Amino acid sequence: MGNGTEEDYNFVFKVVLIGESGVGKTNLLSRFTRNEFNHDSRTTIGVEFSTRTVMLGTAAVKAQIWDTAGLERYRAITSAYYRGAVGALLVFDLTKHQTYAVVERWLKELYDHAEATIVVMLVGNKSDLSQAREVPTDEARMFAENNGLLFLETSALDSTNVELAFETVLKEIFAKVSKQRQNSTRTNAITLGSAQAGQEPGPGEKRACCISL
Amino acid sequence: MAKSSGENGPRAPAAGGSLSGTRESLAQGPDAAAADELSSLGSDSEANGFAERRIDKFGFIVGSQGAEGAPCPLLHRLEEVPLEVLRQRESKWLDMLNNWDKWMAKKHKKIRLRCQKGIPPSLRGRAWQYLSGGKVKLQQNPGKFDELDMSPGDPKWLDVIERDLHRQFPFHEMFVSRGGHGQQDLFRVLKAYTLYRPEEGYCQAQAPIAAVLLMHMPAEQAFWCLVQICEKYLPGYYSEKLEAIQLDGEILFSLLQKVSPVAHKHLSRQKIDPLLYMTEWFMCAFARTLPWSSVLRVWDMFFCEGVKIIFRVGLVLLKHALGSPEKVKACQGQYETIERLRSLSPKIMQEAFLVQEVVELPVTERQIEREHLIQLRRWQETRGELQCRSPPRLHGAKAILDAEPAPRPALQPSPSIRLPPDAPFPSSKAKPKPPKQVQKEQRKRTKASGQLDKTPAPNQAMVVAAAGDTCPPQAMSPKDLAPQDPAPQDPAPQDLAPQDSAHHHSQESLTSQESEDTYL
Repeated sequence: MGNGTEEDYNFVFKVVLIGESGVGKTNLLSRFTRNEFNHDSRTTIGVEFSTRTVMLGTAAVKAQIWDTAGLERYRAITSAYYRGAVGALLVFDLTKHQTYAVVERWLKELYDHAEATIVVMLVGNKSDLSQAREVPTDEARMFAENNGLLFLETSALDSTNVELAFETVLKEIFAKVSKQRQNSTRTNAITLGSAQAGQEPGPGEKRACCISL
Repeated sequence: MAKSSGENGPRAPAAGGSLSGTRESLAQGPDAAAADELSSLGSDSEANGFAERRIDKFGFIVGSQGAEGAPCPLLHRLEEVPLEVLRQRESKWLDMLNNWDKWMAKKHKKIRLRCQKGIPPSLRGRAWQYLSGGKVKLQQNPGKFDELDMSPGDPKWLDVIERDLHRQFPFHEMFVSRGGHGQQDLFRVLKAYTLYRPEEGYCQAQAPIAAVLLMHMPAEQAFWCLVQICEKYLPGYYSEKLEAIQLDGEILFSLLQKVSPVAHKHLSRQKIDPLLYMTEWFMCAFARTLPWSSVLRVWDMFFCEGVKIIFRVGLVLLKHALGSPEKVKACQGQYETIERLRSLSPKIMQEAFLVQEVVELPVTERQIEREHLIQLRRWQETRGELQCRSPPRLHGAKAILDAEPAPRPALQPSPSIRLPPDAPFPSSKAKPKPPKQVQKEQRKRTKASGQLDKTPAPNQAMVVAAAGDTCPPQAMSPKDLAPQDPAPQDPAPQDLAPQDSAHHHSQESLTSQESEDTYL
């Protein structure tokens, strides 16, 4: 385990937000990392990210949350986006059935680009607009169970379950990591070849472990 | 809107295994509060306390992210162009716009210089239309925009466009109101494009581009300028597969090697894909990155000189953000580096500094095209053929003009201020002469001396046209004007009535010395 730098963290977990345009990815990001919500947050173009360090037991974990454009067209430029991700929140808008109907396509995209062991949570966002609901909770939950995904409904607007969603994903990642470490004879960072690109410490640098499962 | 900032510090460990990273306060940030308040405004009216908010000279609400918070009042004052200079520049630009074809044909370098100095705000919208060829496009397609405007769009695109209307410059007075005129026009322009080019459809980065255009001109004009940007300046940027932007990312990175070896090496070592930092820069032509006065200066040059300006700005930013050992030392990892590129120092984005650096950076069209071929070849070797072949891009106003198939109609006059034909003309002794006679005299004069013609001829274009209007063709020598124009060059007398403000008399002919121009 490497030492932290000026920040005291032991792990960095890269988590990506994916899903259709307008479902609330950017606000989930800002709500979790800065406790902010904006009705008119800008359309995401390119890549945005933000981090927050949380405690899981005695370990300090830096969650690096990545956000990108949801529009179909941008799928062409996202392989860099997925690289090294250990967790994903697949977000849909529970007031717009269309954004749920394409979830399978997003899953396929995810598994095409990320590691098969990536922890995925299906997130039905905008639960504050329950009167406009178009996706029944049970239906989404069933889909998640059948596909080995975690599931929660959230509201970035009123904060419902946002903490819980990220916390759950991070804990799940952490559990996997701990298990792998128990099973592995090595005590250093577990890497997966080129998936570690860009996250390796430079020569002579002591950094936290960048984990890839 | 709150940009992604740096991370928060570590939290104190909690008893038990529960997550203890929660922030104490649930209060929303200042931007969020402002946004909530503003987004509840139903209309453009000032009735809801909107008038209490201060708006900066560009239309941004003061205190919001888009506004220039004048961090250094002195710096701001330095950026202000003295009024006298501004007026003189306006006068020169009016002359240029009134004689556009001639200037583009013979004095393009001067146009370029003036674009580098910054287009006077009062004429910026017009100038952009001329530079981009949007004006010509509009004239070639009368009624087309209205036709598109009135057609129902593809619901698939309309749905996405609608979701984006309130997400462009929400702190600009033009776009702050949901369902307001600004957002409506944005919708109209973007919808029209999806109908005009259904195979292209809508790409989200087109919205900020269209929004910037709408800040300077009406919807129809903005539409045609958008067309020019998407087809001539940045072809393929907004298409399916986004191949053009990926190629440009590689070109940018490649050019960086010579411009700043330190930055290049650092980005290389950390294996940072150019798409992670240049996508928003290039696709929005820096409209979401730079302080607003810098955005406008960059766009002035971009319309004149094309994409090389975009490359130069990117290279300048990379060079100054990561171009020295001290700077890269602070960027230990991929995350820190990208963070650095997203929170650029205001000093390197400041208008005067940035423009100077861009103008002086020796990166040429030829280098860009050469690198383009190299990257294209590499793409073909590793990824196969491009799926969307875009036409080659045109590097600026002159290239666009030259590519226009002849014959094309010269810009027709439609001045908005008309004086009766027999109105007294202050500085001329004689009565207004019939146009043909004056032209003959003028021809004699310009042939006889190559000097500054101090006596304004009555039918020099002295009519002040409103923004967005066409300008009258300059009645110099009829045969020098667009020869393919079938219509007679003699404008009707009432169109060229003298206007008594000396301020608007253009005293420059194309044969003048203009030695004073280099300063102004």
